[in-house]
Amino acid sequence: MKQVININFQGRVVPIETSAFEILKAYTESLNQHFANEEGKEEIINDIESRIGELFQERITKGATCITDDDINAIITSIGRPEDFEPMDDAQPASSSSSSSSNQQQQAGSNFTTGHKRLYRDENNKVIGGVCAGLANYFNVDIVVVRIIFIILIFSFGFGILPYIIMWVAVPSTSSTQLGGTKKKLFRDTDDKMIAGVCSGIGNYFGINPWIPRVLFLLPFLSYFSRWGHWGGFWNFGDVVRFTFSPTSLIVYIILWIVIPEALTTSEKLEMKGEKVDMNSIKNSVMEEMKGVGKKAEKFGKEASGFINEKAKAVSGDMQNFSRRSRGGLGNVIAMFAKIFAYFIIGCVCFGLVMGLFGLGIFSIGVFPLKDYILKGEWQNFYAWGTLVLFIAVPIIGIITWLIRKIAKMKNNSRILRLTFGSLWTLGWVCIIMLIATVTQDFKSSSRLDDQSIALSNPKVNKLVVTSSSPFTKKYYARNWVRFEPFENLLDDDTAYVRNVYVEIERSQNDSFQVTMKKMSRGHDRKDANNLASLIKFNAVQSDSILLLDKGIAINKVDKFRNQLVVITVYVPLGKQIRVNSGIDNGHVHFGARNWGNDWDNDYYDGEQDMKWQHDVDYVMKEDGLYTLTGRKADGWNDKEETYQNNKKKKNGSYRYDRIQDSIERKIDSIENRKQQKKDSIERKAEYLKDSIDRRNEAEKNKIENGTGLIIKPEQEAVASVIMPGVDILTNI
Amino acid sequence: MNIDNTASQMRKGVLEFCILSVIKQGEAYPSDIIDKMKSANFNLLEGTLYPLLTRLKNAEFLTYRWVESNSGPPRKYFSLTERGAAFYKELEATWNELANAVKAVTDIDANNSNNNNFNNNP
Repeated sequence: MKQVININFQGRVVPIETSAFEILKAYTESLNQHFANEEGKEEIINDIESRIGELFQERITKGATCITDDDINAIITSIGRPEDFEPMDDAQPASSSSSSSSNQQQQAGSNFTTGHKRLYRDENNKVIGGVCAGLANYFNVDIVVVRIIFIILIFSFGFGILPYIIMWVAVPSTSSTQLGGTKKKLFRDTDDKMIAGVCSGIGNYFGINPWIPRVLFLLPFLSYFSRWGHWGGFWNFGDVVRFTFSPTSLIVYIILWIVIPEALTTSEKLEMKGEKVDMNSIKNSVMEEMKGVGKKAEKFGKEASGFINEKAKAVSGDMQNFSRRSRGGLGNVIAMFAKIFAYFIIGCVCFGLVMGLFGLGIFSIGVFPLKDYILKGEWQNFYAWGTLVLFIAVPIIGIITWLIRKIAKMKNNSRILRLTFGSLWTLGWVCIIMLIATVTQDFKSSSRLDDQSIALSNPKVNKLVVTSSSPFTKKYYARNWVRFEPFENLLDDDTAYVRNVYVEIERSQNDSFQVTMKKMSRGHDRKDANNLASLIKFNAVQSDSILLLDKGIAINKVDKFRNQLVVITVYVPLGKQIRVNSGIDNGHVHFGARNWGNDWDNDYYDGEQDMKWQHDVDYVMKEDGLYTLTGRKADGWNDKEETYQNNKKKKNGSYRYDRIQDSIERKIDSIENRKQQKKDSIERKAEYLKDSIDRRNEAEKNKIENGTGLIIKPEQEAVASVIMPGVDILTNI
Repeated sequence: MNIDNTASQMRKGVLEFCILSVIKQGEAYPSDIIDKMKSANFNLLEGTLYPLLTRLKNAEFLTYRWVESNSGPPRKYFSLTERGAAFYKELEATWNELANAVKAVTDIDANNSNNNNFNNNP
């Protein structure tokens, strides 16, 4: 059952099946294009349509209810398809040359139209969309090789799928030069270009504003840039994925740039801006082709395995011949295996190098936001840029170019290229060495400042809990990266907070808590280091039993990061308790004084055994050191376990809730405090009220006794006590 | 080199001539012309014919008139103009010249081979 529509054809109403109408439309389209440059084309087409109308009438009068697909096809066959029309003279549009020997053309993948090789999709040799076939044709590479490359790309990077789809949609198929295809070709529009006219060309082809593909290409970059402000989440896997998308779009752009031809002549420009591509027809053909994919995939699998078998047989045949021919056959075979193995190893090494470089590139781009906090001065910035571009980007670009040349079998001007890339890379080496040299200069000297003592508002509390305004409770992977522990920070506009804080616990000489702070920094000489150290802003404030530390040392772009460090030493009196919450410091803390000499930064990587206490555990200070509340000597490792066990016995909760429980306890404490305060103030107010009521009553009593009969408020009483004598005096005058 | 190409080239050469001669025989509309060509074993596509007719008309070798018809849309009936007739004469002359020349060349060939045969027979 098919839908039938009525059309007004040559002045008559003709009932025709929808599908037949589509065929008719496509046919008249193809005629239009065939006669595009023909003088009198309207007349010709009109004549042909008349003829078609006549044939319609014939069928209807013979008794058909409507025109069917078969009717249309028969009519088209009798009139002929445009490519079958014989050219009359030389003043014919270029497309007519496609009319000759159309069969051969189809097989060859339509490269003849304007004598200039164009990238098409070969619909006749296709598995999925004919993309590889077209590419193979264009680059003169065997089609199976192209397919294997694509599959390797897809499986190793996941990267081949997107360009494939883009090319499937964007590259015209060979059927576009035959009946029914739209004659639109994908060109780069260099008249309207921003970089290479790729997006303009795509825009023209699809009839959309060229800014739409531009935004699509740039979108991954934009989303990456927007993350710089939150790069604390850099290790979050989602961001890494989003970041790796942007090089893909860049690579896709470059590929399209290379592959799509430029619209140079006017006719090419006309073709580029031709009629709208019918998305409907694309959708239909895509759906149809998907059905055929299964079968094609099978066939391809057989093909590929056949190919591999062939090659394998060839190789093994060679090897057999080889071994037969030579006397020490076995030795030679082993030698050959060794060679293959060596090549394989070299390949892996090279691959690893490229990956390493690439990773380094990504990493350095990721670290980029911190650049301004470390580098000072023109030279350092320049070296940093030089390193990034020359040392890292150049070999990557060089290797990619080499690969592309290999695949496209382009002429190898390898000497010049190699020379250029080699010298650029050497410059990169120079840059990175200078960069490291100059930066380490700035970290050369360390400061030597006196300790600063922090005033405590209430040094005689029973327990001190050391915490910070926004503790870091997440575990970053960078914790294992020795060099980057100080880099766990928050970026707030243009200050970075560095959590370079160390907490020490010692016994106090008297019965008050005491807190001192050591500020330290590096610099390029002692004076500079001292200066920077004194500029460190770090506060420790006590409120009741909480010692609140800043969340980190604020580093801004003027006073750069020079491994500024703060050591907070808390002196705990005998019998008092102390507890340090987690997330405020760098975790490596020692009990007992250390010699803060020049090499303080080496002390901290001695390992976990030096941690004499744990975070989030209550300790009490006794004669010979810290003890846990259960009476065990503070021992770093096991304290947490003990607290955990205790809590388990107490509440049967799990370890994870331990921390929450602690913070709840703390909150409960502070609530209690406030309750107490409120109670006190209410009591006082109540007292005051009581007093004032009492006084009033007394006053009343007095007044009644005195006979004035007035009920006077205390304030009024005061006023009255001034006025009354005055009145008395006046009245007594 | 391929036979289809060459054949197509040959046809291209004589097409105008044939069509003009059909029209010369009497006013004709395109369908008619196709049928007549077909009966002479010259298979011509309508899509080839229509542009050719239009070109000839634009060159003022042909003229046409519309004739209403019951079974379908109106038809164009083509006839030769004076210029067309003159052009036709030239074409005819050219064709005859060419045909004779070709015949002569191919006949010489036949003659030669006949002669050879003849010579080989004792």
